[in-house]
Amino acid sequence: MEQERVGPVSDAVTSDGVNLTTSGSGAVAQVKKLLFRRMLIGIKDGRFFLGVFNCMDKQGNIILQDAVEYRSTRRASPSSMEQRCLGVILIPSSCRTSCHVDCSIDEQLALLSLHQH
Amino acid sequence: MEGRFTEEAAGRHHAPPKPSTITSGEDSVWADVSTLLRAACNEIQEGELIHGENFNLFAAMSALEIMDPKMDSGIVCKYYSLDEAIEDGAAPVPISFDKTIDVQCTIDIMDHLLSCEATWHKGHSLAQTVFSCIYLLKLERTSSHDLLHSYCRIVRATCKAVVSVVSDARTHEEEDIFTMAYGLPLNIEDEKCLAVINTVEETIARQLRACKASPCGRKVIDDFEPLQNDVALEEGYCRAILCRLRFRKHFYHVIMSMKRPQGRGLLLARKHILSCLSELQSILKSEEFLRSNVSGSHSVEDRGTTASGCHPIGFDASLNTRLSAPTPPRSIKIVSWREAIEFFTKLLQDLDIICSLPLDVSLEGTLHFVVQFQKTRPDLVARAHLQNLLVQDGKLYGIHPMFALISKAAGLSEAVKNHSIQQMEFIVQLGVLVVNLLRILCTNAAWQRRKLGKILQDWRVIQMQIEMALRQETGDVSHLPDDLSFRENILRHILLWVEEETYWIAYRFLILGFELELYSPGEYCMVYWYIYIILIKLAEKMHHRMSSNNSLAKSRGKKKKGSALDASKEFQIPPAVSFIQSQISLAEGLTLMLAALKNERLLSNRPSPFNTGYERFLQHFELLQKAGISEDISYRSFEEATKTVSFSTLAMYNYFKDAQRIARDIKHHFSCDPDRLSELRKIEQVAEHNSVALNVVCRLGSLDSSLKVSFEFSHHPFFASAVVKRSS
Repeated sequence: MEQERVGPVSDAVTSDGVNLTTSGSGAVAQVKKLLFRRMLIGIKDGRFFLGVFNCMDKQGNIILQDAVEYRSTRRASPSSMEQRCLGVILIPSSCRTSCHVDCSIDEQLALLSLHQH
Repeated sequence: MEGRFTEEAAGRHHAPPKPSTITSGEDSVWADVSTLLRAACNEIQEGELIHGENFNLFAAMSALEIMDPKMDSGIVCKYYSLDEAIEDGAAPVPISFDKTIDVQCTIDIMDHLLSCEATWHKGHSLAQTVFSCIYLLKLERTSSHDLLHSYCRIVRATCKAVVSVVSDARTHEEEDIFTMAYGLPLNIEDEKCLAVINTVEETIARQLRACKASPCGRKVIDDFEPLQNDVALEEGYCRAILCRLRFRKHFYHVIMSMKRPQGRGLLLARKHILSCLSELQSILKSEEFLRSNVSGSHSVEDRGTTASGCHPIGFDASLNTRLSAPTPPRSIKIVSWREAIEFFTKLLQDLDIICSLPLDVSLEGTLHFVVQFQKTRPDLVARAHLQNLLVQDGKLYGIHPMFALISKAAGLSEAVKNHSIQQMEFIVQLGVLVVNLLRILCTNAAWQRRKLGKILQDWRVIQMQIEMALRQETGDVSHLPDDLSFRENILRHILLWVEEETYWIAYRFLILGFELELYSPGEYCMVYWYIYIILIKLAEKMHHRMSSNNSLAKSRGKKKKGSALDASKEFQIPPAVSFIQSQISLAEGLTLMLAALKNERLLSNRPSPFNTGYERFLQHFELLQKAGISEDISYRSFEEATKTVSFSTLAMYNYFKDAQRIARDIKHHFSCDPDRLSELRKIEQVAEHNSVALNVVCRLGSLDSSLKVSFEFSHHPFFASAVVKRSS
């Protein structure tokens, strides 16, 4: 695992601008830009995890740092949320139901335009 | 149910969460990146990772994996919260509006709580066992249900008391989980719990009397409400509940009485232990009645956690698994109801042994008591009680100062008790060491062995300090000659005792290895050799101490009589020393036999491919070697002692016969000491058995290559018996 090939990815990053919508080796480069951003992931049992995006692999498993778990106290919404700190967590892609990144409105628009490609 | 929930949750949470609960940064929004991530996944090569510069694979490996049941304690099972579970009717109060069913269910809850409590005692977290009970988590909800309320309250109070007993004692590793009560409603003073349970008990006792007074059941006394509706079942249910309530009450008394300082509550505790045991019998007897009245709708489990076999209402361990942190969530199997009763019976018997401890015994007697007590393999709670009883405020039972005990054990007179020597730093230190030793002897075998090995060094340091002080005393002329010899005398006695104690600790360290199954058969030879050496030293020191005590006693009473009897006694070996001699012979016999078998290649034991004999020697005895308890013990001396042993050497002298003879001869000295007597019997048996085996091996060993010898612990826990077989 340690010897993974980061060549093409880093090339893409250096040739890449700030603009999220730039294509090229596209998605990977853009995801690289999301590293160290705050990421909010919902999983299928209804909990959310908010943490710093640290790593993702081919299967879509994500590692968050300084993660906080949020869970509602009741199934029926609206309800208050309980939270607790967990530290470094790995969220398998199989249980992930949503994934959001904290970004400015401009960036969000750029991402939306990407979806339409 | 599970499927529906998953779908529902997944569907609902595709929308971004409400900003009011989880806010994004200032001037920013939550942007959905699921599609982008999916695209990126398609692009990445297999084995490739998207990560930043400071990524550390090692740190990433230690990430908590979400939804892994062994790592993620927050997995939402049935309910999101306790409140939701209660609103959903998971723990209704009353449990049923049908009073008969309500009583049945209450008994099930009581029984399951008992099983949970036993599981807790056996080493699981409180949160996942006793406090899986929703009623206990919100006790105030039950206040309208007298029966349930009183029972739950006393369970909570008992748990709190037991937690405090165990936290006061020194425990270790896994056992520390026991006292974790973070986030549980346990930190509540409840002095009224006894009064509450007494009132309920009285009411039910009256109900029982009332239904017995009216056998046909038709005439119910005015203004008197029966326990439940079915008159025919009234007596059975009253009895079933009464014994359960009484057990709780007495058990609480046991714990509280034993907690009293200076062992003042031990006598009272014994009475309550007796009551507890008899109530447990009644609880067992109620099983038949409770099983016969199970209504058809329930499924009856044979090895369930309740007497009726029904599944109890109001328990959900998943509600507070998050509270069991910092331990990872564990899968827990609650012990069955019958096992729980067996568990409490054993616990109460162990507590009874502790309560029977006479508080005026000597240090030697106390050490012997603790070692004997550990042979019954008592559980954590009993051991914690013993520890707290033994050491209070740095004194034995909170009564006897350590110096007084040490000087008594060292054979010094009462007058020494107030001598200024006890203020010397190393004597104070010695007192602390004895306290530590007592505490360590009360811990579990694994921790005990490790700690015993470690404290040996401290004992050695004290020993050296006393030796140094002795040298100074003899060189110091500032003291008056009378006082000088007195101080010197005290130090000499204490030194002898410290040396003896050090060997005793080393011996205990060695034999605990057998209990923990740390030695492989290939290593028995070196272990017995080590035991043999340590025992010789121990016997030497003990003999020395005893004879110097004798001479002291004689010089004190020399005016009385100088008979010939005394002179003959002087040459006699004290029985306590002969006792050790029998063990020495046995250990020596085993060492030589094992060495001969190894040298003549009769022991089916190939050398280990992983480490040499020397390495294993160090692994097992490193702590002893470090403490330097004897200069002449080394791997080399072990090899020299064993490498030339052959069947012909064995044939020359049979040490087992010696052991057998000594054990037989001294038995009558221990007729009042059943523990040592039974030990002697075991020694005699092993010695006899091995003596026969030795003869067979010596006669046939070199002729018959099909002869196989193995060792087992059939007669004695750590002196092995040889089994000779002809392999076909």
